[in-house]
Amino acid sequence: MAEKTSGRTLTPQAKAAVIDLLYRLADDNLVLGHRNSEWTGLAPILESDIAFSSMAQDKMGHALTLYKLLEDLGEPDPDRQAFLRPAGAFRCCSLVCLERGDWALSIVRHFFFDEAAQIRFDALASSSYAPLAEVASKLRGELKYHVMHGRTNVRKLARGTEESRTRMQAAVDRLYPHGLGIFEPTDADETIAAEGIQPAEAELCKTWQERCGAILDEVELAVPLGCEPVYGGRRGEHPATLPPLVENMQIVYRLDPVAEW
Amino acid sequence: MPDTNDTQWPVYEVFQQQARGEPHVHVGSIHAPDGESALVLAKEQYGRRQACVHMWVVPAEAILATAYEDADIFEHGTDKSYREAFGYQTTKRAREIGDEGEL
Repeated sequence: MAEKTSGRTLTPQAKAAVIDLLYRLADDNLVLGHRNSEWTGLAPILESDIAFSSMAQDKMGHALTLYKLLEDLGEPDPDRQAFLRPAGAFRCCSLVCLERGDWALSIVRHFFFDEAAQIRFDALASSSYAPLAEVASKLRGELKYHVMHGRTNVRKLARGTEESRTRMQAAVDRLYPHGLGIFEPTDADETIAAEGIQPAEAELCKTWQERCGAILDEVELAVPLGCEPVYGGRRGEHPATLPPLVENMQIVYRLDPVAEW
Repeated sequence: MPDTNDTQWPVYEVFQQQARGEPHVHVGSIHAPDGESALVLAKEQYGRRQACVHMWVVPAEAILATAYEDADIFEHGTDKSYREAFGYQTTKRAREIGDEGEL
């Protein structure tokens, strides 16, 4: 693994690879944070509403932190990233783009996403790119809670009623291929792994399948076999549900992009 | 199986500790379907507003309480100021030293 580096010492190729990775991570967090915030005021009970909304805020915070790392590498500032880019410029995975769905869909998505995020950020904490390693270490506590919340809810809803179980299985069946799609490789991945910035996506995906599989087994939810991952998001090819989300997120900012907030 | 149409799940009382060695202080209550969920939900409800290193949830129905009409049992009929603990300035420090590494 390479020496820890700051932005100044990255080779041009490594810098491009870090930028590619940061866009994926930041956009995932921004879009999921926005999507999950749609539950604010609507979640099943007050307590779950507060917890889910609070985690949506955390995701926005994680996105902001990651956009700041991009800004440090010469990319546009976080407001421009969030509010002035068209949907096609986003590099998020399809999992975060899908509609809000019922509570089971949102819980299973949250579970799949945060298991993946924890695996990734644990690995990034020892990234050769020091600014990212530092951010990854700082976010681990919040992610640990998100994982606890996800697992607890998956267990409860899988063992709740006949209806909750049926809905959870439907959500798992629908989302598993999109969960695999979180780990869509890009052209930058070879450099990312070779430079010690992050392990290969395929390696992270393997751990993700093991962890999610163990918990789903435990509560007797079936893991769909032999499904193809849904790719495209890392190339800017998104489900039809993303453009309306982006439009909704940007509508106020775009009224007056130079306004001071 | 509890009635799932009833959104008023059991009440859990929430206690939180601001630093190791400090007492667990009651901060409020929460509805949850079970203890594990209560902990997860209480963390966001109460843990995000102030420092916290440890949290307890206790089923409210597990708590036995005196009645307010019996509040007079706590009153002193005669001067018992010799029993009051205000003189013990070293209590907190002694606890910090004595309980180091404990909850």
